[in-house]
Amino acid sequence: MRKKAWLRTAAGLTAAALVLTACSQKENTGTSENEGASTPSAGWPETAVPELKEGKKGGTFQLAITEPTAIDPYNAQESEGILVATQLFVGLTTVTYDGKTEPGVADDWETNDDCTEWTFNLKTGTKFHNGEEVNSESFKRGWERVAAKDSASEVAYHLDGIEGFDEMQAGTATALSGVDASDPAKLVVKLTDPNCEFYIRTSHTVFSPMPSTAGSPATNTAFVDQPIGNGPFMMDGPWQHDVGIKLKRFDDYTVQDPAYLDTVEITIAPNGSQDEYAGFQNGTFDWARMPTPVLQQARSTYEPQGQWITRNTNGMNYLLTMVTQKPLDSAKARKAISLAIDRDSIINGVFKGSQTPSTSLIPPVFTEAYQEGVCGDCHYDLDEAKKLAKEAGLTEGTELTFQFNVDAGHEEWCAAVKDQLETNLGLTVNMNGVQFTDLLNNEQQPGASGIYRAAWGADYPTPGNFLEPLLSTGAIGAEDNEPVTGDNRGRYSNKKFDDLLADALKEKDDAKRITLYQQAEKIAIGDDQALIPLWNRTQHRLANTKDFINVRMDFHEDPDLRVISTK
Amino acid sequence: MGKFVIRRAAQAIMVVIAATMLLFLGLFVLGDPFASTGDKVVPPATQAILREKFGMDQSVPMQYLTYLGNLFTGDLGIDLNQRRPVADMLGVALPNSARLALIAIIIDIVIGVAAGIIAAVWRYSVWDVLVTILTTLAIGLPTFVIGVWLRQTVSGFWIFPQVPRTFTELAPWYTEVLLPAFTLAIVDAAFIARLMRGSMLEVLRADYIRTARAKGLGERTVIMKHAFRNSIIPVVTYIGISIGVLLGGAIITETIFQYNGIGFLLYRSILQQNQPVIMAIVTYAVLAYVALSMIVDILYAYLDPRIRLS
Repeated sequence: MRKKAWLRTAAGLTAAALVLTACSQKENTGTSENEGASTPSAGWPETAVPELKEGKKGGTFQLAITEPTAIDPYNAQESEGILVATQLFVGLTTVTYDGKTEPGVADDWETNDDCTEWTFNLKTGTKFHNGEEVNSESFKRGWERVAAKDSASEVAYHLDGIEGFDEMQAGTATALSGVDASDPAKLVVKLTDPNCEFYIRTSHTVFSPMPSTAGSPATNTAFVDQPIGNGPFMMDGPWQHDVGIKLKRFDDYTVQDPAYLDTVEITIAPNGSQDEYAGFQNGTFDWARMPTPVLQQARSTYEPQGQWITRNTNGMNYLLTMVTQKPLDSAKARKAISLAIDRDSIINGVFKGSQTPSTSLIPPVFTEAYQEGVCGDCHYDLDEAKKLAKEAGLTEGTELTFQFNVDAGHEEWCAAVKDQLETNLGLTVNMNGVQFTDLLNNEQQPGASGIYRAAWGADYPTPGNFLEPLLSTGAIGAEDNEPVTGDNRGRYSNKKFDDLLADALKEKDDAKRITLYQQAEKIAIGDDQALIPLWNRTQHRLANTKDFINVRMDFHEDPDLRVISTK
Repeated sequence: MGKFVIRRAAQAIMVVIAATMLLFLGLFVLGDPFASTGDKVVPPATQAILREKFGMDQSVPMQYLTYLGNLFTGDLGIDLNQRRPVADMLGVALPNSARLALIAIIIDIVIGVAAGIIAAVWRYSVWDVLVTILTTLAIGLPTFVIGVWLRQTVSGFWIFPQVPRTFTELAPWYTEVLLPAFTLAIVDAAFIARLMRGSMLEVLRADYIRTARAKGLGERTVIMKHAFRNSIIPVVTYIGISIGVLLGGAIITETIFQYNGIGFLLYRSILQQNQPVIMAIVTYAVLAYVALSMIVDILYAYLDPRIRLS
């Protein structure tokens, strides 16, 4: 008897809760509509980047990372590995903190008319940490070490397009036939296809030069754990796995201005942002990422002290749409979905303002190519959404698959998106949280439909590295009835878009190339809504500006160690 | 006795083969570690090169046989992530874990057995009540609660090193091992105290204890020589089993204190889908568990003749 009373009460409470949420939902949409009119964008503003000041030699900078896959450029891949490799090596070109390509070991470069042959003129007299001179042979050696089949590099594909690369990957050649190092001061590279922005690609650490002691294939563990490079810092002892990496300044660094810091101590803290934040709080680390739940609190503590960095970085969060399958096989249907999502209210509600809404695929960090508002339907407009949905046949009860990967903090906002689509358009959203590998696998299958959580960051600072892999026909790499083998998992295909990208790669003039990319983005995102951009990749860091000057975030979201100096 | 040992060893070998086969199937057949890196698909050509590199281009039965063969020669292969010999990784982590487990067990036994004997001998005294209350508390609190609380409050004070700290700030091994060992030991110590108390009380009621007392033996001799040896049997069994539980608890404890042991290595390897490392650790855990329970059974048979005869 008593049990039944309990049940009744529980049922009553649930019903009440349902009524309450229904009310609050209605209220929510009402207010955000009004808010949408007055405040166009949500989210915390970017913090100012410090002007570089003359520093002084000395000091130790402490930070923590998780254990990288590799710090040797042949296989350095995630942010942590790239952080170390970037200090140890400098390639033909380098990326500035704001995503521009600058001369590195190459002073300048030229290309033939169709951009299939590149000549890089190298600075002479620059040295590896062991004193060996860096010349064109060092680059050829480094690239061949990456391309060698037995190195089994996971990032070798960046060299794809250099003549002889395929043969080396197949194991039938031991040298890159397209790379000529006969003149020590000149590196000549032949490409299989025109690429007028190849020089931008060479800023990736995988294109680093190697001293003759490196050995090929890259299986020499002594070198892989203590690489000898030509960058502003050198290894101070081998990498202590799961413990730490110690770097010291390379005093003969002449490629750019040398570093100020004496040493950089990189502690390997396995719990990532959690440890970094704890370590920053107890004064151990001078730089830290933070777990998402503490962002708001940390910002209120450290922002007033000038120890807070917020930047929109090289990346984009979006919804992948399956454009060849019902119900999203029309641009109108995809636009209806985009218009029915209230990004601002999710950012303010779920993310507490730590993200900024997006209206483009190419993020604002690409200042020259960024087109604010190129996605004309990346805002909340209920009437327009309903109208387009009706025209596209998205009726009451239309089923929509929505998959995301679990255990990565996506649960809450995905639930909000589902909720909005159901409330605003009357769709039946079948939301499904799966493991990350399963998510990618499901997206690749022929016949996959609906929307999927997705994110992307470029490997090199060019808009083409967003557009080509994500949306070009070539990046599907499969017939309609086969699983996708590239990164265009939505199977978007548009001849005009493909042609513009091809033209861009044949365009030698940087400004004109950017215009072609912008036109391509306009077609794919503005007209066809091939993807649904949600919010920019916004990154937050804590930085010890009490003891250090020139602390800024580099293009890879790491501290720009070469310019940091003690006060 | 010899027959019993042979029978028990045959059982153990069967368990090991069945367990490794299941593990292998579960790990190598279900997950594809090369499909993607982050949000990016790995190009099919690269995937093929990686499969060949790690010997995963062969058929599954072939891979299993190769694996078993390598296991006998002690070759555990290289890990999928950093391509370091798995044996090296275990070589670093294993001594740390062994040290942790050993110290935890010593703390376990010393605290547990002493508390159990005291509670049993002075039954219903203040000490007995205190042991009951403390053990209830310790058993009720999960390891991770105790661990996180100790890390938050004690780490960084006195001799206990800060977590996290920079790797250049060295700490002697015993300062690093104490907190995790204590965290690991506390729940087990409580169990052992209760076991010891219960079994001691039972033994103290037995006829032969009365006989011993009637013979005029001193109380100390009665308890330490007659009662102790007989009441320790369930505790021995428990410690044998709890070594397996210790390894399980070590995953949590080592992760909390970032103690570079097997449990922590396993945790990281699972996150990375680093199958050769997971495989090696779990295989060794199975071997250790099987070997230990075998030893416990044999020890049991030695202590109690009825077991080896049945």
